[in-house]
Amino acid sequence: MATETGARLGLEYRDTNGFGAAQGGRGYYLPVDLAVRSDGRIYVLSRGDAIQGGNGIKITDIDHNWFEEISRRGTAPGQFISATAIAFDASDRLFMADEALHRITIFDADHNYESHWGTEGSGKGEFDGPSGIAFDRDGNLLVVDDKNQRIQRYTPDGKYLNSFGSAGDGNGEFSFPWGVTVAPNSDIYVADWRNDRIQRFSHEGKFIDAFGTTGAGEGQFNRPANVAVDADGNIFVADWGNQRVQAFDKDWNFQTSIRGAGELSKWAAEYIDANADEKEARSTFDPYPELDVDDPHEVSARTEPYFWDPVSIALYDDTRILILETGRHRFQVYEKV
Amino acid sequence: MTTAARSGTDTELIAHLLRRAGFGATWEELQAAGDLGYQGTLDLLFNPGDPESMPQDIIRRYHPDQSITQIAPSSGSVWMYRMSTTKTPFEEKIALFWHRIFATGQTKLIQGKVMLTQIEMFRQFGLGSFRDLLVQLSQNPAMILWLDNQDNHKGNINENYGREILELFAMGVGNYSEEDIKECSRAFTGWTIANMPYMSIKMRNNTLRPYGYVAWQYQFDADDHDDGEKTFLGETGNFNGDDIIDIICKNPATPRFIARHLYHHFIADELPVPQWPFEGPKDPEAIELMVDAYFANDYSIGAMLRAVFESDMFKSEATQYARIKSPVELVVGTLRLAGGFDWPTADIFKATAACGFMGQALLAPVSVEGWMGGDDWISTGSMVQRINFASATVGDPTKKGIKSIIDQISDRHPRGLVTPKALVDECLELAGSLRVEDETKEGIVTYAREQGDIDPRTDDGVDKIVSVLQLIVSTREYQLV
Repeated sequence: MATETGARLGLEYRDTNGFGAAQGGRGYYLPVDLAVRSDGRIYVLSRGDAIQGGNGIKITDIDHNWFEEISRRGTAPGQFISATAIAFDASDRLFMADEALHRITIFDADHNYESHWGTEGSGKGEFDGPSGIAFDRDGNLLVVDDKNQRIQRYTPDGKYLNSFGSAGDGNGEFSFPWGVTVAPNSDIYVADWRNDRIQRFSHEGKFIDAFGTTGAGEGQFNRPANVAVDADGNIFVADWGNQRVQAFDKDWNFQTSIRGAGELSKWAAEYIDANADEKEARSTFDPYPELDVDDPHEVSARTEPYFWDPVSIALYDDTRILILETGRHRFQVYEKV
Repeated sequence: MTTAARSGTDTELIAHLLRRAGFGATWEELQAAGDLGYQGTLDLLFNPGDPESMPQDIIRRYHPDQSITQIAPSSGSVWMYRMSTTKTPFEEKIALFWHRIFATGQTKLIQGKVMLTQIEMFRQFGLGSFRDLLVQLSQNPAMILWLDNQDNHKGNINENYGREILELFAMGVGNYSEEDIKECSRAFTGWTIANMPYMSIKMRNNTLRPYGYVAWQYQFDADDHDDGEKTFLGETGNFNGDDIIDIICKNPATPRFIARHLYHHFIADELPVPQWPFEGPKDPEAIELMVDAYFANDYSIGAMLRAVFESDMFKSEATQYARIKSPVELVVGTLRLAGGFDWPTADIFKATAACGFMGQALLAPVSVEGWMGGDDWISTGSMVQRINFASATVGDPTKKGIKSIIDQISDRHPRGLVTPKALVDECLELAGSLRVEDETKEGIVTYAREQGDIDPRTDDGVDKIVSVLQLIVSTREYQLV
């Protein structure tokens, strides 16, 4: 590991966007991924559950404007059962992975269903639970083929190109990988979920390094779900099982760790204002009660401002990061300082 | 490799124990238990290792709804995974027992997270001292809001919890007065949760807005606790809730009441609880055995059960197959027979829902009195559900438990053909050393005979083995435990 130089990167809380919308409409329900379009609009993949509604790709922006929702639960073209990730290509076409249907669905820039591809299996060009997706520098799609323990690369129209990785805990091996991201310098970062580490690969898929061990200390992870990298090479890891986000510089020097500080979003505040009984009761609400538990999942369940299942991170104009939480149906906005 | 079956009696006794202290054992589990013998198996039950059940991280990633457990199908399914995959089913059986007695429901509480926390508490404390368990129960946020103790204030009591801890949870009707209820309630004033006004109204409004539910945290509010003098069951003092629990636990009515519940759950069906004040227990000696163990072992629930499991009464023919399986016992037992789950699947919701269709929705007891059990489990509708679920579950030869049975039969008959009687005998043995009445068995053999000799290596042979298994799980005897 390289020697740390200069001032540490910090992350300061700025805002919360979201609202629990199990019945659909404005807000999210069990969101699992988000992506920022070239015009700054923010797309949140609201996976939902099998019982209630609230599923779809919800569209907002950094100022809490609400636009629309596309797609919904189902098996028809353009629908999903267990969506896992979304990503935009250079033409603002939206790609969505589904680990239950083992397919990648494409929407055009106007949100119209365009096509889908992918079949279940373990052979080349087949999936067993596609999870994270990201475009490489050539505009080809990297798909984390979770239960096949590999990363596959496809042309945007679904033609198989190559793959790397296999099951294991050695260099370049995976244990149920989840999120993938492509850094501005074209390196590929994979959240090697059950190995509690992040692995870095060259554009060609050649192993560069792996970082992280199992634990809750600095530089340790508990089932990291996703990773984002900014223009300076700073790395932000959604440390899902530890219910936090850790930041590192490009040489993996630890910078900071945040636990979340969510407040009432614009939509949430409007709801509270419209319900006098809840507003009155909430006026005495202590968001940080004294707890008798220390398991991070349980602590987050009892502490509303904290991240609960932070699952995905997106950079916004390279000055802010958006941290999506499945458990609280929102994303928190932090600014790099 | 073919392994010789163990001799009847020991295996059948161990199978009986594992049906009662768990959800039944597969043939492989019975072979392993046979190496330990009955006593060794019993010792292992009380000193369990790692449950090795479906890991929580796996469940939470692939079922995000089961991470936050907002809705009942999600929280029920978390428990269903645990029960159907654990290596320590006795813990789950105990949790199920207390869930039935300290019946708390997501139907009112709305969120499932606090329910699952309560179930975990039952795992941790369910076999220990009844005093510790009652303290935990009284401080359990799900119980506090279930029985409105957040509205039990100094100078303005709400007696809901104070009444039920005496009537339903610890002593039973007839062992306390109305005045004792009030004094008990006074002692539990101030036992509440953090952020009570907001948490309470979110529950009442049934709203996950704005950010889902916030799981509840127990909090003692000293300012709202009535520290005045109280007289409870003949004793006087400035009692707090734990003092009241001390008095409850040393009263002989308490272990008698709990012992009768244990008898009903682990030994044989008893009368419905509302009849207990008027009708004595079915087996007073069994009750006294447990009461003695309770007082001799610091109110230990585990000691009460160990005394039962070691008794000749428990091992007797009369006790075997003397209870009607609860829906959860039937569903979980059948899932485990078929091999459980290796990976998250949407099938878990079907299993959880099936319990509800049969009359025992997990985490949603019908009332504060819990499920009555016994004959109440059986109706025309529930029988159809029970048979359909069991038959469909064992009807899939790709499930690893069913495949294992087929492989065993195949290994035992290297030359191929299996006679109808041998097929039925081996299916009964391999399905967990099950026993059925002669008449029932003759009926299954008659069916098998109509199929002729079978070759387990062929698709046709597999179909016929599966059809015999389906008949077995459709019998009257399979409804019993």
